[in-house]
Amino acid sequence: MQTNDRGPGREIRIEDLLRELAPQVLGALVRRSGRFDACEDAVQEALLAAARQWPEEGTPDNPRSWLLTVASRRLTDQLRTESARRRREELAASLDLSVPGEVSAHDDTLTLFFLCCHPSLSAPSQLALTLRAVGGLTTAEIASAFLVPEATMAQRISRAKERIRNAGVPFGMPPASERSDRLQVVLQVLYLIFNEGYTTSSGPDLNRSDLTTEAIRLTRMLHHLLPEEGEVAGLLALMLLTDARRAARTTADGSIVPLDEQDRNLWNVQQIEEGVAILTRTLGKVPVGSYQMQAAIAAVHDEAPSAEETDWPQILALYEVLERMSPGPVITLNRAVAVAMVNGPRAGLAVLGTLDRDDRMTHNHRLESVRAHLLERAGEFAAARDSYRKAARMTASMPEQRYLALKAARLA
Amino acid sequence: MKYMIMTFGSAEAGVEAMGREWMREMVAFMHRLDKDLRESGELVDEQGLADGSQAKTVRFQNGVPVPTDGPFAEAKESLVGYWIVDVESEDRAIEIASRIVAFVKAPIEVRRVMDAPPDF
Repeated sequence: MQTNDRGPGREIRIEDLLRELAPQVLGALVRRSGRFDACEDAVQEALLAAARQWPEEGTPDNPRSWLLTVASRRLTDQLRTESARRRREELAASLDLSVPGEVSAHDDTLTLFFLCCHPSLSAPSQLALTLRAVGGLTTAEIASAFLVPEATMAQRISRAKERIRNAGVPFGMPPASERSDRLQVVLQVLYLIFNEGYTTSSGPDLNRSDLTTEAIRLTRMLHHLLPEEGEVAGLLALMLLTDARRAARTTADGSIVPLDEQDRNLWNVQQIEEGVAILTRTLGKVPVGSYQMQAAIAAVHDEAPSAEETDWPQILALYEVLERMSPGPVITLNRAVAVAMVNGPRAGLAVLGTLDRDDRMTHNHRLESVRAHLLERAGEFAAARDSYRKAARMTASMPEQRYLALKAARLA
Repeated sequence: MKYMIMTFGSAEAGVEAMGREWMREMVAFMHRLDKDLRESGELVDEQGLADGSQAKTVRFQNGVPVPTDGPFAEAKESLVGYWIVDVESEDRAIEIASRIVAFVKAPIEVRRVMDAPPDF
């Protein structure tokens, strides 16, 4: 509706404001009533009401308290319609137990991150709940981003909330002994959301890259809440430094452009600078973790003026540190690429050989695609072609399958 | 990650081989499965297909597409229905398929939808 004179720019700001306030309002409401699932529905309704009313009637002077008031009213209505008396008694009891004194909106948002990424939930549920409760996205938006029917996503979210309720998870920070592990889960969820944004095989691409943007926004939010956590900073830097190459990663028809063939003029300089700055602030001050190491590697790539000028010895050194820190076949695979760039393709292939008997790599197409590249560089074209073909059969990404099949065809 | 779970054969053969009682149980089973997959928030799509005898196959003959009656002659059993589920892991997709196989006692194919992010 164009009954207001504020234009689309204003509407975007309202949306941003609502997204920012969503976890704060939800946190405040849950802290008072103790009922995450009911509050989450109430806040979602308040957000929808605001999205309808504010563009027409103007943003209220105190948007947060507007949302809180509307959400509280919805919550009361809801509780009234449920088996009323018992619920009200429970609510009264939970209000008595609530923490006295003012808890900051920041703590509430942080608590919500931990709650939505509770280990008792499956990964798809953690992703969906985080996007809705912390990200303030509607169920329809989340469903469209994951290319599933809205009813399916609604059910997934409602099941996740039910599980949290049944598990009796209190609304509060995890105990100090669990905090580090729980933070790892939160970071993993944010990383998965980011990764989802890179799925371009089907559906509207715009929605998918929105997930990437949303993952960066949420990680930035978490970084502001926990500025001293090196791995949060590391993940944010990794996302920025990776996403900086987005425009160069694919051609107009969705074909993949490998890193060494990308037009570096298309890389987002501001994002690279920001990622490097975050990383520089963090490294050396806190214990180094694997996200920081991955970000450091991404930064070396991003700062190379051309593929030929990439500082591969440094990348290799970083992978060696990373592998000692968190050993695993995927890191070894990446190190093999660096080894090949520094010491030649045969040295890289020898590293790959150590992965052949690793069960975790049996269905991993990347082992085959890296092998194919290295065989090609070693001049073993027939073997390279076979490996490209095998990798093309194994991948679950459509653009990657096309890329690998094309590579094989060129060697035929 | 999404998977397509596919059943092959023909409904007609099912009734003849297994009987009407079994058919009733099968309908009830499919309703339960449908309800469970909806409630778990995993169901993306499910469809049953008309019998393979009603299929048309479009072939490329003498430089033009030509429709002919029936499914591929080479296909021993044609697709009769599918589910697309969005699940946490391949294990979960196989678990769903196993539940169907335990009931229909016929093989079911489970295939990943190409929805993975490419390497970057």
